[in-house]
This record gives sequence, structure tokens and C-alpha cells, in this order.
Amino acid sequence: MTDVNVVEKPDLRGKRLSFALAEDRVGHYPEFREFFARTFDLDRRGLTEPGFLRAPSGLTYALIFIGRSGEAFPSGVELHAIVDALEPIAEETLDRDLWAILRWMIGGVGNPWTVEDFDRTGRLYRLPGAPAA
Amino acid sequence: MTLFARNPLPDAARAQWPYTPRFTSVNGWRMHYVDEGQGDPIVLLHGNPTWGFLYRDMIRPLVRSGRRVIVPDMIGFGLSEKPTTEHAHSLDGHAANLTALMRQLDLTRIALVCHDWGGPTGLSFAMSNPGRVRALTIMSTWAWPLPPAEFHTRIFPWRMMHAPLVGPYLLGKHRALAGRGVYLSVVDREKFARTAQAAYEEALPDSMSRLLTWVWPRWIPLDETARALERFQWLERELSQSKLPTLIIWGREDEVFDAATFSKRFKQLLPHAEGPLLVTGRHFLQEDSGPEIADLIKHFLNRLDTKENSQ
Repeated sequence: MTDVNVVEKPDLRGKRLSFALAEDRVGHYPEFREFFARTFDLDRRGLTEPGFLRAPSGLTYALIFIGRSGEAFPSGVELHAIVDALEPIAEETLDRDLWAILRWMIGGVGNPWTVEDFDRTGRLYRLPGAPAA
Repeated sequence: MTLFARNPLPDAARAQWPYTPRFTSVNGWRMHYVDEGQGDPIVLLHGNPTWGFLYRDMIRPLVRSGRRVIVPDMIGFGLSEKPTTEHAHSLDGHAANLTALMRQLDLTRIALVCHDWGGPTGLSFAMSNPGRVRALTIMSTWAWPLPPAEFHTRIFPWRMMHAPLVGPYLLGKHRALAGRGVYLSVVDREKFARTAQAAYEEALPDSMSRLLTWVWPRWIPLDETARALERFQWLERELSQSKLPTLIIWGREDEVFDAATFSKRFKQLLPHAEGPLLVTGRHFLQEDSGPEIADLIKHFLNRLDTKENSQ
């Protein structure tokens, strides 16, 4: 079970995209690019629209995929929280959601990448979102 | 897109870093360096995620020994400009940045001191500019294609740290390498936390300013598809033919580039080298043994002077 889910495009009226994270090289390990392509049907949908995820806080996140000439698509991805247009985002909420989204991604990429290794790495560097051993 | 028109010296570094900041433009980037003393130049090269501060305990004794000491901050680190796109960085680009500085200062008879990524960049400069370099000192680094170290092939923690999106989160938003990462790679952690850790953290104050901390690990060749494979093949080939006087110094407790594997490999590549000499230290051995390393370099260069003067 995961507490992160792929969802349909939400109603964006009265909302803004709040930048959260950018990755210039999603294919550094190609299995990550393959995971995004598979999960969001990117070979068919290309750049037509972002992918969307619902995170544990209830917020929806947009994954905006980046194309780069000469490289397989997607070459990069930006992660944006969809929040009320004029409201700031609570940083602790954002951090907890990012942790959960990354954990979902690692689980989806799969062997040899494991959420256990992700959690261990978080604990080694004392990240607030990392679960206790 | 870059950050910080001019980076301030971190408060935590001020008392230990009395050197005049100097800036120049290399390949269109603003590079910070210090240039102290007179005599034959010693160039001290840092790696990821440090800056010239790593050499704070070595600059004065080397200047006092009658040398000119130059310490650049690699573009992306320290007080140098910090590009905020991954595509601004490449191994060849960083070697060319160093070459630009060395040519602007018109340095010859350089004693090059390399650590971590200062190894591949500095040694690439040395092998492509042999007329400018007099001697090498090599510490906790590598200069060949595959494999780097068993440590770098493991998912936990190395590959996980800079995996897509995980790198920008862990090393960017949470500065895992500039903070706890260096802390874990010194011997005297209490002293490091008290006297140095903040100087490294404050030099990379914002998530995007820390970009090179997760970009550099991605340049370590792990397989035949690696971007820098040919450069490392060339570097290994050139080094194996080099006759430059060389000193190899390693940290006894180094777990990232362990002495038994890496210093031995450099000795095989450069059989005429002195050493490996072991000092107290993990990967960031300058933190535990800076004055001792300075002393070893000073005596190495003095022996070289004596030898040259007797010829």
C-alpha cells in the first residue's frame, strides 16, 4: 500500500503551482526515466500535460516533465505543489509530502532500489521524514 | 542562471580565514581564489563539497616555507559562482576552469596538490599542461575509469544519495553532504563540528547553491556508459607515462577511497612516487592532519629543490 496516488488533472482555478523540487537529469539511472514514462504514459502523452499525484497531506502535486534536444524524454522533471493561489505552503507539510513521493518513486522503480535503502539513507543523514529503524 | 553576485565569507570561517579574496573570470564564471606568499607556486585543489577552507591549516606553514600558495574555489563551491543548472558542469569544463586560472596567473613550476575531485580536474590540467607543472601531491582521489570504489557501486548510501529527485531533495533541500556527510568522513568529529562544519554549510546556504554536491557524484564512472569514461581512460594512460615527481599521502581511516586500494593503485601508476605516507584522517584528511600534511609537502618540495640545485 502507498499513501501517494496518481490522480487526474485537478481543477486549477484559484490555485498556483508552488515550486518544490527540480531534477535536471532524470535518466542518470535510466530505470527512473522508464518509471516516469510508464507511470504517466509519457510515450503517448509527451509534453501535452503534467502528471499529477495526491500526497499524504491531501495536496496534489504536478510533475512537469522537461524535454531536452538530443536526449530521451523526459530528460528532467519539476515537482510543484498545487496550493491556494495567495497562500504560502507549510514547509513541514511540503517536506513530509516530498519524502512520501520520493519513497513512492523508489518503490515504483523497484529492484535493486528499495524503500528500505531509501529509509536507511534518510536515517543516516538524519532527515526528519525518515522513519525510525 | 547563477546565484549570488558576490558570496560573502561565511561567518563561521572568518576567524580562520584571514586571506584576501581574489576573483577572476574563467570560462565566463566568476572564480574565487587566494594567492599568498612568494616563491614557486603550490596550488591546493579541493573537491566535493568543500572549498579552499579545507586547506586553512596548510596555507600559512607553506607560505612560511618560502612558497606562493594559490587556493581556488571550484566553480559551484565556496565563494565562487554557483551555476544552478546541472548542464553547466562537466569534468572537462572544471579542468578548463583551472587551466584558465593557471594561465591567467601565468604560473609555472607548479606543485599541484589534489584531493577528491581536485584529483581528476587537477591531474587533467597537469597532464595537458606539463610545461607548467613541477610536482604532484595526491590525496584521497582516483584517476582511472572503472571501478571507482566498492563504496560508489552500492545503492546504500552512495547511489541513493544522488538518484534522480533524491539528490536535489537530500543534498539540496537538506544539505546532507555539506553537513553530515563531511562530518561522517573525518576522524575527530567533535572538533570538526565545533570548528569547521558551519563554514562548509554556510558556503552553500540555499538548496540550489548546493547543486554541484549531487551533480559531481553523477560524474563518477560506474559502467561503460559513463560520460567521463574516455577522459578517465586518457588520464590513466597519461599518468602511467608521467615522470613528474609525486608524493602520495592518504588517510589511514579513509573509507571512501581506502588506502589499501587507491594509494596502492596510484603507486602502481606512478612507481617513482614517494609514499604512500599515511596520516590520521578519513576522506577529508586535511581536517585531521592539515599541519602534518603541510609539513610532508614542505619537506618533499625542499628535497626536490636540493636535487635540482645539485644537478
